[in-house]
Amino acid sequence: MGSPITAWEGATAIFTGAGGVTPGLFLLLSIVVCLAAIYHGARHETHSYERNRLE
Amino acid sequence: MEQQIAELTAKVAALEEGAGWTTTINMEVYYWWCIAFMFAIHAGFLAYEMGASRKKNVLASGIKNILALAFIIPTFFFFGWWIYLAFPNGFVPDFEAGAAGRPWDMAMGPNLSDNATGVFWGAFALFAATTASILSGSVIERIRLSAFIVLAVVLGSVAWILGASWAWHGSGWLLTEWGWHDFGAAGCVHMIAGFFALGVLMNLGPRIGKFNPDGSANDLSPHNLPFAVFGLMLLIVGFFGFLGGCIIYAGNGQWVSIFGNPTTLSAVAFNTLMCFAGGIMGGWIATRDPFWMMSGALAGIFAAAPGLDLYYPPLAFLLGVAGGAIVPQIDKLLVKFRIDDAVGAVAVHGGGGLFGVLAFGVFAAGYPNTPEGAPDTNFMGQLIGAASMALLGFVPGFGVSWVMKTMGALRIPEKAELMGMDKAKVPVAAYPDGWFDALPAGRAATPAE
Repeated sequence: MGSPITAWEGATAIFTGAGGVTPGLFLLLSIVVCLAAIYHGARHETHSYERNRLE
Repeated sequence: MEQQIAELTAKVAALEEGAGWTTTINMEVYYWWCIAFMFAIHAGFLAYEMGASRKKNVLASGIKNILALAFIIPTFFFFGWWIYLAFPNGFVPDFEAGAAGRPWDMAMGPNLSDNATGVFWGAFALFAATTASILSGSVIERIRLSAFIVLAVVLGSVAWILGASWAWHGSGWLLTEWGWHDFGAAGCVHMIAGFFALGVLMNLGPRIGKFNPDGSANDLSPHNLPFAVFGLMLLIVGFFGFLGGCIIYAGNGQWVSIFGNPTTLSAVAFNTLMCFAGGIMGGWIATRDPFWMMSGALAGIFAAAPGLDLYYPPLAFLLGVAGGAIVPQIDKLLVKFRIDDAVGAVAVHGGGGLFGVLAFGVFAAGYPNTPEGAPDTNFMGQLIGAASMALLGFVPGFGVSWVMKTMGALRIPEKAELMGMDKAKVPVAAYPDGWFDALPAGRAATPAE
């Protein structure tokens, strides 16, 4: 987490946590969010269509 | 004297460094604006798709289209770029070549020593989203949103980019082994997306009311044709970003195509405009319908896309006319087989792309390729490439949608389809003041309305 550099001279990869483990955690979390969004969307659709079937 | 030489040497070194940075930044800026222009493709698809929907489904169609972008971009980061870099040899990955595309690689984020990866990744992510938008229009008004998202990810972040690795890569096997050439991605973008959509449509089935029991088709008219036609024109604006992204800016010499042969933006300007014009004319001659005229413009571009860097402009024009005239006939043929493609995506992208890829083999054989040992451009290479692109689109499209169909997860319930998807699941109304509520004078409602 945070800055991977202490000076700009010679810096290359400057994204937060570069070279550490936190980018992996954020990557994993992003994948989970995408999968959860699809699941959430599918549930919302199913509920919407079931509700309309009852009306 | 020695001091003067030292000063001059230092000045030359400073100038060289400055020129090097100018080249690097120019390259970065060039692709940055290609990405921005490609968003016009998506604005166009959004307008096109919402306009082509009936008013009861307009917002649901828009939501689907917007979500295609939202899911393609992260998934293309997770694995799409890696697929592109790792699979130029076929189905067996080259892990070393793909290493720079792993989402945890140092190149896959802000990096002061790498000005290229982000803008190239961005441009390719937008190409990926284009394929998903092509699918999106064809399946409107009856596909489940969640099913569409999964299919869009399979198409945009797996199938097309695998095709791009084979057919739009300086080391792709179709180029190095068969002499394939496809400057404007008629194969890996348009054919793959069109044939993927065909596979999905076969499992999805037509919209309720599209076909009568005797097989004749009803016209499920777009609720806002002017909006759809405007969207198609906006797509053309975006194509200049798309085609700009098809050329490599090295900054230290002539432009080169993605296949490594030298070319110019002027060549692409000549031919893109000529085939665009021809496509409109072909669509007009064949149908007199503005929807098909603008779809013809797209098909005209795809018909010449493989050779936009090489064709004589009047040849590009004639290919455009042919492409624009052929695609409405392909769509009619699909209707005979009870394939309900709401926006003609299979015909325009799949058919137009196929025509373009094969036409290149007929009209532009014999150009030398630059990779060592690669054959010259030839018809057989185009034919093998076309078959590969068609299968790479159709097989996953049909297979994944078939699995979803058997799980009951592909299509919305009949009642929701009749009611309209907006009313069934969208929390806001598209036209709350009653715009578009009345049918035009003299036109009766179709069975589905």
